[in-house]
Amino acid sequence: MRVLDRTGEKLDLLTVNIGPSHPATHGSLRIICGLEGETIKAAVAEIGYLHRGFEKMVERGTYQQVMPYTDRLNYCSAILNNIAFSKAVESMFEIQITERCKVLRVLMSEFTRIVDHLICVAAALADLGAQTAYFYYFVPREDAMIILEKLTGARLTNSFSRIGGLYRDTYEGFETDVLDFLKKTEESLSDVFKLVDRNRIFLDRTQGIGCITPELAISYGWTGPCLRATGVDRDLRKDQPYFDYQTYDFDTIVGTRGDTYDRLMVRLFEAKESISIVRQAIKRLKPGPINVSDPRVSQPQHEFAYHDMEALINRFKLVYEGVRVPQGEHYDALEAANGELGFFITSDGTGNPWRIKVRPPCLTQFAAFHNLVEGGMVSDAIACLSSINIIAGELDR
Amino acid sequence: MKTLGTDYTKALVPATAADISCAQQSTFDWLASRFPLDQDPLAKLSTSAIVRREDLHEVVQALRDTPEFAYDMLIDIIGIDYLNYPGHQGPRFAVTYLFKSMRFAAHRFQLKVLVDEEDLVVPSLHDLFHIANWAEREVWDLFGIRFEGHPNMKRLLNHFEFVGHPLRKDYPAQKRQWLSTNDPLLDQLEARLRENGMELIDPIPLNTPAVEDVIKGSRR
Repeated sequence: MRVLDRTGEKLDLLTVNIGPSHPATHGSLRIICGLEGETIKAAVAEIGYLHRGFEKMVERGTYQQVMPYTDRLNYCSAILNNIAFSKAVESMFEIQITERCKVLRVLMSEFTRIVDHLICVAAALADLGAQTAYFYYFVPREDAMIILEKLTGARLTNSFSRIGGLYRDTYEGFETDVLDFLKKTEESLSDVFKLVDRNRIFLDRTQGIGCITPELAISYGWTGPCLRATGVDRDLRKDQPYFDYQTYDFDTIVGTRGDTYDRLMVRLFEAKESISIVRQAIKRLKPGPINVSDPRVSQPQHEFAYHDMEALINRFKLVYEGVRVPQGEHYDALEAANGELGFFITSDGTGNPWRIKVRPPCLTQFAAFHNLVEGGMVSDAIACLSSINIIAGELDR
Repeated sequence: MKTLGTDYTKALVPATAADISCAQQSTFDWLASRFPLDQDPLAKLSTSAIVRREDLHEVVQALRDTPEFAYDMLIDIIGIDYLNYPGHQGPRFAVTYLFKSMRFAAHRFQLKVLVDEEDLVVPSLHDLFHIANWAEREVWDLFGIRFEGHPNMKRLLNHFEFVGHPLRKDYPAQKRQWLSTNDPLLDQLEARLRENGMELIDPIPLNTPAVEDVIKGSRR
């Protein structure tokens, strides 16, 4: 394909298709590029290869049955999705969760945020050829998976949260396990930081690559670490605090140029902040109930259900008809590992959701992808793609 | 894109739930003094507006560019099908827009446009917010609502050969369709090249056997 560029120069462009099944696309994405030599002159992205019809599927079941589906949105931090969904439903009931549940939710959110950031940075470094860092990160990540398995019974798709509480309380020795994990994570974070900090190859491959201005990022609806990398100091945990985040001591990490380097570094340092939040949360853990005692949302204890007619009916109704969310529409969001994860729920007053719309943070970031990569090299596009942390599960739903 | 001179590097003052509902009320009152609008009866926990379709573009622009509101981020565009919704009267479809401000922590606002089944058209906001391009394509894909003025009204999530709009309430969830080949995407690439200031002298040849196979696919 031959084109005339702005200066009137004739260019011979090569059309190259990347994906949908490419090792560097981390899932199924497709990008078609017009290349001049190795420089990308134009790029167009296509999504939808992992579209399962999440929003159609959830309309068939009850609200509780949505929970396992939310695991499969961002499968790197499933618990954050669970919590986001239960928080959205609870806000429609206007119920207050218990104190212990709040602390545990903060703890688990930050725990999964650490894991998510570890995976993102590890994969991004592996894409740049730094395989060592990948293994340094997957050692603490494996510890995290073992803790999650002990706590929830699953490694990846945890389904840990419930409407009005959590699936279960922590096990004995949970705090020690988590503190141990935090220590190992800190070590590996600083190990990898030492590897990349003044590494010429890493700096050349990431600094000034895939830049985006804050104005453009905002117009594209970017949120989370990628927006903060452009220098915008916005974090839902600070701006609209939920679960008493305002009482925790942590900083928002902000970049300056919005390039690949900033996005990766913001994640690295945010993981450190999350470590500190988890430590604070562990200190606050006090014994107490984890589920609200509201018959509209939480099931009665087994001993009541076996001996008390009313409790049995309550249990039966909750299981067969689902949680009957009050009629209306509401949007509720929280700060997930990738940015603002929101659920817009339309309820008709029955136990089955009328419509649930997920607001996935990755979609907005991927929509701006051509702006990041045009003018750069093909190999820079790969580095860019891994730094915006595209999770096809929530991108395509 | 207009920026209103917000200093993004400065942290915001945290907002409480009361601040948010107060901001919604004041935004609603301000809008109501300028445009004909109704309060959305379904949004019970917030104050949100139903605007007329013809006012939408102007309303959104006013919300974005007025410094005391500065709704400069379009969070999402949501299509809803109210077919047989209990107690629902009026048009079958609705498109809801969620906005957020980067200038004030408490500012979140929700707008709704009702769309009749006979005339499924809503003005596009792609010139105000970049993300509207993909968000509107998604609503078109899932509900079949057209966005007037959109530069590339193609499906986003479903395959380009897909027939029907799956999130409509009358679309059977178990229906299966034969989808054969990839979208060549060459038209979009050419459009993008033109956007970047390049002029096509000889377009991508479509007559080579390999490309022809891709375009034809194994369609029945």
